[in-house]
Amino acid sequence: MALKMRYLELNRKIRDVRMLAIQGIAEAGSGHPGASFSAAEIMGVLYFHKMKHNPSNPLWEERDYFVNSKAHSAPGFYAALATAGYIDTKEIKTLRKLGSRLQGHPVRYSERQKDHSFPGIEYSGGSEGIGLSVSIGIALAKKRDGQKNRVYTLIGDGESNEGQIWEAAMAASKFKLDNLVAILDRNKIQQDGFTEEIMPLDPVRDKWAAFNWNVVEVNGHKIEQIIDALSRVERVEDKPSIIIANTTKGKGIKHMANNPQWHGKAPPKKHVPILLEELQSEILIAPSIIAGEPENYEEKVRRAERAGADLIHLDIMDGKFVPTTSFFADTIKHLRKISSIPFDAHLMIEKPINHVEDYIDAGCDIITVHVEACSEAEFVEINKMILKAGISPGIAINPGTQFPSWIIEHLDNIDIMIIMSVNPGFAGQKFIPDTLDKMAEIVKTLKSNNYKGFIEADGGIDATTLQQVFDAGARIMVAGNAVYGSPDINSNIIQLRHKANVAIETKLLELATINDMRSDWIKSRKNMLIPLAKELSIEEDLHAIK
Amino acid sequence: MQLSDKNVISDMRTAYGKTLVDLGLKDPNIICVGADTTDSLKTKMFGDKFPNRLYNVGIAEANLVSIAAGLAIAGKVVFASTYAAFLPGRCLDQIRNAICYPFLDVKLVVSHAGLTVGPDGASHQQIEDISIMRSLPNMRVLVPSDSVSVRNLIPLLSNTPGPFFMRLARPSNSNIYDDNFGQFDIGKGNVIRDGSDITLISCGLMVSKAIDAALTLEKEYAVSCRVVDMYSIKPIDVELVYHAAVDTGAIVTIEEHSTIGGLGSAVCEVTAENHPVPVNRMGVGDTFGESARETEIESLLSKYGLSSDHIIESVLKTRKRMKK
Repeated sequence: MALKMRYLELNRKIRDVRMLAIQGIAEAGSGHPGASFSAAEIMGVLYFHKMKHNPSNPLWEERDYFVNSKAHSAPGFYAALATAGYIDTKEIKTLRKLGSRLQGHPVRYSERQKDHSFPGIEYSGGSEGIGLSVSIGIALAKKRDGQKNRVYTLIGDGESNEGQIWEAAMAASKFKLDNLVAILDRNKIQQDGFTEEIMPLDPVRDKWAAFNWNVVEVNGHKIEQIIDALSRVERVEDKPSIIIANTTKGKGIKHMANNPQWHGKAPPKKHVPILLEELQSEILIAPSIIAGEPENYEEKVRRAERAGADLIHLDIMDGKFVPTTSFFADTIKHLRKISSIPFDAHLMIEKPINHVEDYIDAGCDIITVHVEACSEAEFVEINKMILKAGISPGIAINPGTQFPSWIIEHLDNIDIMIIMSVNPGFAGQKFIPDTLDKMAEIVKTLKSNNYKGFIEADGGIDATTLQQVFDAGARIMVAGNAVYGSPDINSNIIQLRHKANVAIETKLLELATINDMRSDWIKSRKNMLIPLAKELSIEEDLHAIK
Repeated sequence: MQLSDKNVISDMRTAYGKTLVDLGLKDPNIICVGADTTDSLKTKMFGDKFPNRLYNVGIAEANLVSIAAGLAIAGKVVFASTYAAFLPGRCLDQIRNAICYPFLDVKLVVSHAGLTVGPDGASHQQIEDISIMRSLPNMRVLVPSDSVSVRNLIPLLSNTPGPFFMRLARPSNSNIYDDNFGQFDIGKGNVIRDGSDITLISCGLMVSKAIDAALTLEKEYAVSCRVVDMYSIKPIDVELVYHAAVDTGAIVTIEEHSTIGGLGSAVCEVTAENHPVPVNRMGVGDTFGESARETEIESLLSKYGLSSDHIIESVLKTRKRMKK
């Protein structure tokens, strides 16, 4: 199923949401980072992809409604609204302060509350368990009037202790509200500890099914799974739907993740630069299925997805632009049916302009063409086609190619730049070390021109080279042989993740050291760092803390 | 003042149901929500007339008022009704956060308030609702005294933006006002009878008790009582209370509600800050009520200090407190 998502832009905006939220919380000195982060993908997908809404006309009659019932996720919610354009991102700095429009818990906008809210906030939350019932009211009104608006309601798992949630569960199915979608942020942590200890919610899926809801379960940090679920529930009639989004509280900042202590605590302000760096350091792993044994792509996609790959890298080779031939759009079309994982198509073909539509139709989420294979004019044309399809456009550059300056003009419309670290055409080549300098140089140029997209390293990326390309600026790692070169794909991906962690922690530690808070940083992240102590050479630091 | 000269017996709930139907014919935006008490509250009349404009959410008061809030967010004018025993108490949080805070067009109209609900006993005798509702920012509180008041006030509720709480009584009673009387407004009270020696300020079913007491006081004690029907308790008619204090020098308040936080408290707040005079607050003391059969309702009221005789006694006592 083609999802028609601009995956990389969504990913970036959701990262922006986390960055804004943590800045707001740190500035306020209080707030809920845990819930803001567990729900970041959910709110991001709703505001940046799914919902019909208009930040410049928030009261647009045809808009979809978002009711944030677990309103303590306010910092993340405001950050999402700011990123969507409802308010200036700078206003996040007023969060929770006297006179702010960004109250501790969001307030429905009205003339009376214009100093404490802004247009776009539909619901005053804060007291748990109420929002789903309110959503029922909105959905009932829209349904009886024959209007198409849909209502999306974010509820929490701690919040589900409230009896009213289950009053609402009964009522929504009685009224057959197929225009209502609840999304459960199932992060398994509430204020006092883990939900299953405080008040067990499982078997949560069965509970909602027993209340006669259509239930879908997803990984709540996988953009594509949320999007896929949201479109599937749209086709259900006469029943409300709930998406159980399995999430990690505090996702994005490792020492906050899955830690009840960070339910409602602000990080120290001085940590903010390092936290922002961490959020920008996320590494996406993109296994390339042409590597390893040459057959059974289907199995390769499935196994990589199960092992936690972020993207599937698809090397399209036509035997002309590169000497080998791999597969084409028909193969992708077939693979698309088995998974919603983003397809990162790398077109190593001549005259890509003549073929791009095929790859759009096949259900690719990212399409990258080679700078060597098209003129600027052709690139602009291709770029337009890709953006029109609502997916992510990219450009790739070979080791021997000079970075063409015309690219600078188009950076706003480029979500990914592949900087080849081998000469493309064959699987299993060795990484060319010289390309590191080139990558660093290109990254510098891109940064100075305000490029917001991703850098992808492609060619010979494995456990030995990952950290180097990360340091040079790459955040998406195409891994061919490193994933498929030996049979245990799961372990191979785990090993790459481990190396990614080492790379990230090294970078953060350097930053902490420069900012004169090395031991403070190690202390707050101790549990994450102990397993990496040797690789990070911090055994002495850890000893000093004890 | 056009008072009812005939003894017209009617009940407030039926007036509520009928008025809703009349309003519903004119305004398609009006929606009702009920909680398994639509027959009792007479919102069923509305549902029978407009089958897809009444939603019954079952015995779930928190859901009742929150769904009402959602309907209001979507632009509807919503009447949410059930028994007074359960609506403000059971779902105060929802009323506060989902209705009052966002100032939504939800009109909470409850019935069976006060002791006169009778045989069901103290669990069902709501005597704290005025106090609770009055303290919520943005909430307005109305207590009509008869079916004419209800018929006049419901359209005002419907046309005035924001939340309202209106409490009705279960028993039928004699109309206070003539059928054609129409002088009602939010934040106003009506002088039912003028007088110069003391003012009786009451609401709901207690208005007729005040009138009875006033007649006896005039005839037998030569005390001239001004009688006020204070159907709007929040906002209260400050001017009317002030003039009562200035003109008559003493006030007795009578309500089928706790003496804590209700009409009496509202009146005292005005006099204390504007023109202090002796005020005696009559109501149910700091206690729960009890069961009584329909035929025993008058005795029940009397047992808890709410008969005409008690009013007379209170008036005489209060007058003694006045500065000579």
